[in-house]
Amino acid sequence: MIHKIWAIAKQNANESLYYRFDLLLYIFNFLVEITVYIFIWLSIYQNGNQILGMDFQQITTYYILVVSLNPIIVWGINEGMGTAIREGEILRELLHPISYFEYYFGMRIGELIEATIVGILTFGICALLFGVLPPAGILNFLFFVIVVCLAVVVIYFFELILGMTAFYTDTIWGVEVLKRAILNIFSGMIAPITLFPGFLQKIANILPFKDCVYTPINIYFGELSQIEIVQVIGKQCLWILILYVFAKIVFHKAIKNITVNGG
Amino acid sequence: MAMIEVKNLVKTYKISEKEHGMIGYVKHLFHPKYKELTAVNDISFSIQEGELVGYIGENGAGKSTTIKMLTGLLTPTSGEVIVNRIVPNEKRLENNRQIGAVFGQKTQLWWDLPVIESFALIKKLYDIPTREYEANLKKFTEILDLEELLEKQVKSLSLGQKMRCEIAATFLHNPKVVYLDEPTIGLDILVKEKIRKFIKDINQEKKTTVILTTHDLKDIEEVCDRIILIDKGKMIYDGPKEAFKNQYGKHIVAEFVIQNKMKNITLETSDEDFEVIEESEKNVKVKFNHDKLTIMDIVKSISNYCEILDMHIQEEGLEEILKEIYRGDVIYDT
Repeated sequence: MIHKIWAIAKQNANESLYYRFDLLLYIFNFLVEITVYIFIWLSIYQNGNQILGMDFQQITTYYILVVSLNPIIVWGINEGMGTAIREGEILRELLHPISYFEYYFGMRIGELIEATIVGILTFGICALLFGVLPPAGILNFLFFVIVVCLAVVVIYFFELILGMTAFYTDTIWGVEVLKRAILNIFSGMIAPITLFPGFLQKIANILPFKDCVYTPINIYFGELSQIEIVQVIGKQCLWILILYVFAKIVFHKAIKNITVNGG
Repeated sequence: MAMIEVKNLVKTYKISEKEHGMIGYVKHLFHPKYKELTAVNDISFSIQEGELVGYIGENGAGKSTTIKMLTGLLTPTSGEVIVNRIVPNEKRLENNRQIGAVFGQKTQLWWDLPVIESFALIKKLYDIPTREYEANLKKFTEILDLEELLEKQVKSLSLGQKMRCEIAATFLHNPKVVYLDEPTIGLDILVKEKIRKFIKDINQEKKTTVILTTHDLKDIEEVCDRIILIDKGKMIYDGPKEAFKNQYGKHIVAEFVIQNKMKNITLETSDEDFEVIEESEKNVKVKFNHDKLTIMDIVKSISNYCEILDMHIQEEGLEEILKEIYRGDVIYDT
């Protein structure tokens, strides 16, 4: 099973890495984004040197990490799933001896390979251009990586569920926009979650998205105790279980009703 | 035990009924209306291992829907499908291991990668033993002439090249059953011939059961032994190809080369049992039912009006027979 998922992952990565020019554009795009964020916060920081308990250097590092994590978290399989369903391209995902979930997990990992390359390159260039704070410790960095990896699994199931709505609606555009909006707000990509009003923070604490960006960055800074980190990991595992079960239910309903488009 | 067993298979679709134009679409948003469409209506057949079956019918007759149910992609509304003891839509993955499928306009190849990479992935997904994979690859490369294509990116291939690769990919894991849904659509005659030869060769060697849908009846003439014909979701013929011709192909076309024509033959023979389909000073073409008239009857009749120099007799091909069935000229027993 794992060798099949890995084979799909490599295939998908090879296919997307074929477009090297795209890779450069992605990175360039992220650099522009970071520069804008930095200038906005620079003007805010002119009135004082501590906001939300962060100094300017920290907030710069925060946004560099946000943008470097962006491709890892936000890119995904939705577009591919939607197009496949819409155009009736079901041969690969439904007629090979690999389950739908495994196939798309492979696709997600393939996507992740490219996203990680883009993320690391973006981070490296930004570190040179703007300077970043190093992680609080080796252990912190390790937990940062673990929490991000689990976040990818959470997001994968989330995407799978959203993607499967295309079996009913034949389109993916709406849910893709919804996904990006949810991620942007509740993961802390637009701004640190502590900046939100109280009720939004409460919602963010329940949802799993905060642990995709905001939490790992705080682990990187050493803001979370080890017990808190273990709690985060526990919460992520619980969400993976919930989303997995839900995705299974949706799939079993959808597969009975699919109408494969086109001759 | 048959390889494929289909009993009273039915598939109905719910299709949304939209009025045309913007207002219609907006209305549909709030008050969606649906109507039921029966794509496949009570079809039963049984196919033995190693058979080459042509599954034919007009566009929209229900061919692809049947194939999709056989592969387990669609769940039948009622009735049952069993392929080599497996119910495809219940045990999809298990079924996938033993089947292969080509759908004319769809692809399982990876667009941006060299063809060979797609093959290598199939090897892994199906756990094909290396020796078996190498042997098949070598043989397929030979028959389908793939040597030059394997290292090329899929997107750079022509339609015919892509289909040859697609067919090879489908047979790599030695499937027991292969469904080919319009594999020759849009291809030139040479590619078609290669593909036909390939299907026949593999069937001979490995006893692969093949179900083929096509609109090119040469495919059927050359590849299939058996025909299943469906029309508007109903099966109207199932049997050997030759018997099909005997049952429906009762018309013969006789072409005469003539001289000294004395009268208009079409008018003179209008109350006879045959039909003049073409007439000129030098030629007459006559179509008649062989059950009712003999060739001699026709010759006698025609020679009343002219001198016959030569004649040429042609039995109806599959294509003419089907045209008549589709037009409703031939009444069939269901």
